[in-house]
Amino acid sequence: MRILLVEDEAPLRETLAARLKRDGFAVDAAQDGEEGIYLGREVPFDLAIIDLGLPKMSGMDLVKALREHGQRYPILILTARGSWQDKVEGLKHGADDYLVKPFHVEELLARINALVRRASGWSKPILACGMIKLDTTAQTVTVEGKLVDLTSYEYKVLEYLMLHAGELVSKADLTEHIYQQDFDRDSNVLEVFIGRLRRKLDPEGTLKPIETVRGRGYRFAIPRTDGDDE
Amino acid sequence: MDADTALPSRAPTATTNERGSSHGPLSLAARAAIATSFVLAGFLGLVGLTLTQTTKARALRGLQDRLENFAIAYITNTDVNRYGKLLPPETAPNPNFSRPGSGLYAVALGDNGYHWESSSAIGRDFNFLKPLEPGQSVFVGPIDTRMGRLYYYSYGVAFDTLDKKSVRLTVMVAQTEDQLEGENAVFRHTLVIWLSILGVMLIVLQLLLLRWSLTPLRKVASDMSRVERGDSEQLDSQYPLELTGLTERINAFITNEREQRTRYRHTLADLAHSLKTPLAVIRSQLESANGEDDAARRNSVLDQVRRMNELVAYQLSRAATSGRQTFASAVPIAGHAEDLVQGLEKVYAAKNVLCEFDIEDGAVFYGEQGDLLELMGNLLENAFKWAGHRVLLVVRMRHEAGRQRSGLLLSVEDDGPGVAADNIEKVLQRGVRGDERVQGHGIGLSIVQDIVHAYQGELVVDRSPEFGGARFSVSLAAT
Repeated sequence: MRILLVEDEAPLRETLAARLKRDGFAVDAAQDGEEGIYLGREVPFDLAIIDLGLPKMSGMDLVKALREHGQRYPILILTARGSWQDKVEGLKHGADDYLVKPFHVEELLARINALVRRASGWSKPILACGMIKLDTTAQTVTVEGKLVDLTSYEYKVLEYLMLHAGELVSKADLTEHIYQQDFDRDSNVLEVFIGRLRRKLDPEGTLKPIETVRGRGYRFAIPRTDGDDE
Repeated sequence: MDADTALPSRAPTATTNERGSSHGPLSLAARAAIATSFVLAGFLGLVGLTLTQTTKARALRGLQDRLENFAIAYITNTDVNRYGKLLPPETAPNPNFSRPGSGLYAVALGDNGYHWESSSAIGRDFNFLKPLEPGQSVFVGPIDTRMGRLYYYSYGVAFDTLDKKSVRLTVMVAQTEDQLEGENAVFRHTLVIWLSILGVMLIVLQLLLLRWSLTPLRKVASDMSRVERGDSEQLDSQYPLELTGLTERINAFITNEREQRTRYRHTLADLAHSLKTPLAVIRSQLESANGEDDAARRNSVLDQVRRMNELVAYQLSRAATSGRQTFASAVPIAGHAEDLVQGLEKVYAAKNVLCEFDIEDGAVFYGEQGDLLELMGNLLENAFKWAGHRVLLVVRMRHEAGRQRSGLLLSVEDDGPGVAADNIEKVLQRGVRGDERVQGHGIGLSIVQDIVHAYQGELVVDRSPEFGGARFSVSLAAT
């Protein structure tokens, strides 16, 4: 998941960015509205976190500008004032959720997960494709009810593929959304991750969850099970 | 509303009295004085003109009478002898007839070349004079002659002689105009003096009257400055009927302002006090740090920080609540409700909540827009949070006869678990003071309670008859 973080207060920006990276997100941080609009238009983000009180260009204007530019990814606004006037205004101009400062980082992470899930058409926090279930809240994966032990990068790759289950995900897409900009794209790290995922999810080779579309990318092949299992 | 900037601007601005300023609008007294002066001048001028005209006409008639009397006196004094010869008059009815150039002249013309003039008329030319038939008389004037402008009266008579013959005589008496004008001038002069005196007296009287009728306004101004100095709480004198509308509004405004200030003061005090407890806890936690469990201490500090944060947020929103305002405009409700629900549906998209409206047409909220948003936002968010799938917002106006602004009934219900009957009291009591609130609950309901309180309304929590979940009803009275 690649996230745009626009926050002018340096300590908060750095702490948040570090925390998000630790949780496996790729983070592009901007310190004002102008930098935010530049990045927000150029990079295919999965989500943006925008503070309302920004220098140079207000958060509200940034949200408006991104939506006018045609960016569809979910936007979460942070507001210090917390008045309904601000919240309603932000949501009206294209934001999808809000958090009032100060907030718990866990709360922010939960909101991010929910927004990303919703944006890819999953309404429940558990992504289920046949026997394979991925719990976005607990960040765990089970196959036939048995817990699979994944590293954080492996989890992120699988989450991205499952969020877009049935769709073709190019290698470039996958790399961009999982890693920082400075990642060496020519290496075969991705192939290694996919290989490991296949072995861990499907040791017997019967499910074949991830198929390789030669020369184009990968597809999570097991269809979504959108059953109400609650 | 921007709470940060609203705080200092609440102080009432001092009203300065610019008396006698040449640039400001004219004072009421000056307006009245000017208007009265013009009206008086016009009125007295007309009176003067009318009086002068009537007097002139009367003077002319007086002149005619006088000249006629003189003429008759001369005719009486004239006689005719037995040979039919006219005998000139021996006495003059007025000494001026004997003084040459006096301006009063008498001339008599008769048959047989009879011609007589008074001493004053000797050597003067009266050739404009025509003999008249007996019984005929004329009054003419003013005409231009070499003696100046003249008025004259001439009268024709016939004397019977012993031999039954008749001798005709025409007597003319003339007077120059300046004599008449002199009389008129004296009258005009007197008239102007008296009318001026009358005018001045009327203006002075008018000013005194004005001063008396404007006294209540000056009273309001002086009472206002007493309020400003803090010597008085309100405009508390008795005022005439025309001013009570104004003074009552001013009083309401003052009360409002004072309540607002009290609210700020209390909020500040509450905030300061309530922050002391968590600060004390943090301090003692850090002071007693001697290698104990780090994680537990961190959690405790975090807990206190969260509590402080909630306190600040709660008190800030409380201070921003403006309360029932005398001059608040009407905020239409439907549009704001629409915005709020659209926003909340986005945020709670995963829950698939269906929110229905039942808003009376043209429903308005008399107060700050920010207060309305906080009120509805918090109630609706609460409902979205607890609802299964359905939320209902009902808004009704409460019209009351004799009240200018109708009241409001606003309720939000959901199909969630609801509030247990014995918990309702607890839920409602949370809002009383920030530091007495049960920990771990959102501050939304407390804010709602404070707003409702500030608008002197009522908040009732019960069970939704339709959905079975909670129903929060806010009712605001008509004012």
